[in-house]
Amino acid sequence: MLQRIRTAPPRYWLVAIVVIFFMGFPTVISSFQTSLWTQALVLAIAIMGLNILVGYSGQLSLGHGAFMALGAYTSAILAHRYKLDYLITIPIAALLTGLVGFLFGIPALRLSALYLALATFALAVVTPSLIKRPDALTGGVQGILVIQPDPPQFAQDTFATVTGTVMSSDQWIYYVALFCALLLFWVAWNLVRHRPGRAMRAIRDGEVAAAASGVNIAGYKTMAFGISAFYAGTAGSLFGLATGFVSPDTFPVSLSIQLLVGAVVGGLASIPGPLLGAIFAYFLPIESNQWVPSQAWIPAQIASTVKNAGPAVSYGVVLIAIMMFAPNGIVGLVNSGYAALNRRLRGAGDRETGQMPPDPQTV
Amino acid sequence: MTALLELDSVQAGYGPTSVLHGVSLSVPAGGVVALLGANGAGKTTTLRAITGGVRWNGDIRFEGRSLRRMSTEEIVRRGIAHVPEGRGICTELTVDENLKLGSHLRRDGAEVRKDYDRVFEYFPVLKERRRLSASTLSGGEQQMLALARALLMKPRLMLLDEPSLGLAPIVVRSIFQIIRSINEASGVAVLLVEQNARIALDLSSTAYVLEVGRVAVHGDSAELQGNESVRRSYLGY
Amino acid sequence: MQEFLQQVVSGLAVGGIFASLALALVLIYNAMGLVNFAQGEMAMLATFVAYALVNRGMSYWIAFPVALVLAFGGGIVIQRIVIRPVERAPILTLVIITLGLATLLNGLAGFVFGYVPRSFPSPFSAQSADVLGVFVSYRDLGVIAMSGLVLLAVYLLLQRTTVGLTMRAAAHHPEASRLLGVQVSWMLGLGWGLASAVGAVSGIMVAPILLLEPNMMQSIIIYAFAAAVLGGIESPLGAVVGGLAVGVTINLAGAYLPFVGGDLQLAVGLAIIIAVLIIRPNGLFGRAAVRRV
Repeated sequence: MLQRIRTAPPRYWLVAIVVIFFMGFPTVISSFQTSLWTQALVLAIAIMGLNILVGYSGQLSLGHGAFMALGAYTSAILAHRYKLDYLITIPIAALLTGLVGFLFGIPALRLSALYLALATFALAVVTPSLIKRPDALTGGVQGILVIQPDPPQFAQDTFATVTGTVMSSDQWIYYVALFCALLLFWVAWNLVRHRPGRAMRAIRDGEVAAAASGVNIAGYKTMAFGISAFYAGTAGSLFGLATGFVSPDTFPVSLSIQLLVGAVVGGLASIPGPLLGAIFAYFLPIESNQWVPSQAWIPAQIASTVKNAGPAVSYGVVLIAIMMFAPNGIVGLVNSGYAALNRRLRGAGDRETGQMPPDPQTV
Repeated sequence: MTALLELDSVQAGYGPTSVLHGVSLSVPAGGVVALLGANGAGKTTTLRAITGGVRWNGDIRFEGRSLRRMSTEEIVRRGIAHVPEGRGICTELTVDENLKLGSHLRRDGAEVRKDYDRVFEYFPVLKERRRLSASTLSGGEQQMLALARALLMKPRLMLLDEPSLGLAPIVVRSIFQIIRSINEASGVAVLLVEQNARIALDLSSTAYVLEVGRVAVHGDSAELQGNESVRRSYLGY
Repeated sequence: MQEFLQQVVSGLAVGGIFASLALALVLIYNAMGLVNFAQGEMAMLATFVAYALVNRGMSYWIAFPVALVLAFGGGIVIQRIVIRPVERAPILTLVIITLGLATLLNGLAGFVFGYVPRSFPSPFSAQSADVLGVFVSYRDLGVIAMSGLVLLAVYLLLQRTTVGLTMRAAAHHPEASRLLGVQVSWMLGLGWGLASAVGAVSGIMVAPILLLEPNMMQSIIIYAFAAAVLGGIESPLGAVVGGLAVGVTINLAGAYLPFVGGDLQLAVGLAIIIAVLIIRPNGLFGRAAVRRV
């Protein structure tokens, strides 16, 4: 399904710059902006989970919003009804969602790629009404409020020493999300460059051949589902924390599509891809919604329609265009641009070290 | 006799692998030409090149017009019926529907009906099984269906790819008998690809022997049959 | 008993609607081994076109066929522009593209027509008739009749005409068909056009019941998935039977299973999909699935 990309060795200095950037970021932007970036990071975690499933193991899920909902509600219910510290509920929600994902992966083994897409899509559509029903537990249509915690003492102290300002609750949540994102990206990176990653890619590129070389197909495919759901559960839990609120309408089918857009735009089967894709998928509608009404020449009535319809139109166009013209996403474009540049510089002799040109007909 | 089909140093292949390295041959109008050779010599690829199934260089002319850059559909509509390897039967459809696909482009209704009668005369078994799914036919019957369908296209040239493949000798003999009658009765030219050199040389008037993508020997079929060294080195009998 | 039968009849009516959309899915699946996630949104857009025509004073019975013809043309255009360039791509690529198409069409409808639900006219009276002791609304009967007519028309087109024959041949045996002079790529285009028109019928039939807005088909497509899967995704007959079965099932479940009620009917659709895929992935009428790799 996917072109085997010969990625350049990780550039540690680049990773360090990105990490430092994200660490220092909230000290210079507003509290509101900070909470937006928190949500983008959360989305990145969920997209990384989807990327592990789709990009590496070749199973298409169109219903990852449902796993996010499970994680979010697990945390919200534990914190709200059982008065658990929200931070403690995050790993619980992640593990529970991971377990459910793993169990979901077992029947999914029997389904062809097409049927799996169909079933998960149906799940995504049904999720909001499934959440509404047990209203004693989930709060029904109203949803559950999540109390955003104040930063603990050590964080306040450190923040005050470094920046000389008081840490807000938004900033604290940002760092919680950043910590989770860094940890989970690091885990994913380790996962895909070792045995499980190779096994999953082998399965994706041909199950018969993978089985012939002794890969435990059922094991790795369900494992991929479990890990992927673990990521989505973490993201869902953090999402509730970041927005202070979970409700059925937080998890519409368009959320699952947003995740897919992020995964595809960033570049499937890559580690930086989900981060880039999340930033794109999260900020595209927000930015365009701010830009369009601010333009005086656009009549207000049209502006409000654009605001409503804009995300769907742009997501749709992006999904189609990426799949048709750049199936390896932003990362693929950067890699092939880099390789082309390299070839130019060194002459055409070393095809071997360059990246294989992306085949327009692969995911 | 003027040539109906001419191949002029045709090169063709699949992706980077080249299979034909300059094949030239010609089929006269109304003639029967055999294309022989070992497995992998490029016989099937030659036929596929003619109907646009593979990219090729050189030139292929049918009735004097080059087939360059024509799609398979256009080439077929010009009067070439290609019975491919594996016969190309639509097993999802009935026998009758398969036959209809053969004649679906024709507008000469009365002639079509006559051709149906003729076809059922050659292959009475198809008339009996008209309403059955083509998947229920035996190998020999499927080959008959493929021939019948090709005939209903009212072609001036038929490309037959190994009609004997997988069939019992007695069935092969009767099918070749029918190919001969079709050729004699309607004057349709035949380019016949065969592994079974003996029977192909019996039927054809001219023959070409391919060896790794090139014409190794060609000439009068009877002469080739009589030439001991050609028979030994290329035809294997 | 009386009420039960009425539930069954109105189940058959919505089932007919599901059947049309499921049949559209089956047509495209048969043509290229793909589930078209945009089928519902294509139908929704065609319904908006019909709405716009009626709104401009065109009679319902003229607007209806005009909308179908436009839907047919739209289906061909979509196939030519979006699908044809990636025809041979892996199935997941195609699925993502149709999903992108669904999202795009949904947004376009919202852009042009807005998100305010509109009432859509029904040509049938809302009164009931007494059919063998069961009160059936003319609306339900009309929907059943219309759906039946469309399905019959598709059947006749595919089974009794030369175009239908070449479409079927192109779908199942593209290589062999090309050698018989069938223009396979155009046949796929026709297939998309036909599917689009058949799907449009479901949109136009369901709009008077649900109110017309861009997300109208979101639940209907799930029921159509359920119908197609239940019938066997490659079987046109299965789509019809599956559609009717799903319609009756969700109607009865909504009426008689207290925990389902109105708001979990969609979950019943999901349950049907999952149950069929796990227990009998080929559905009722499907043959052993050929996996397209």
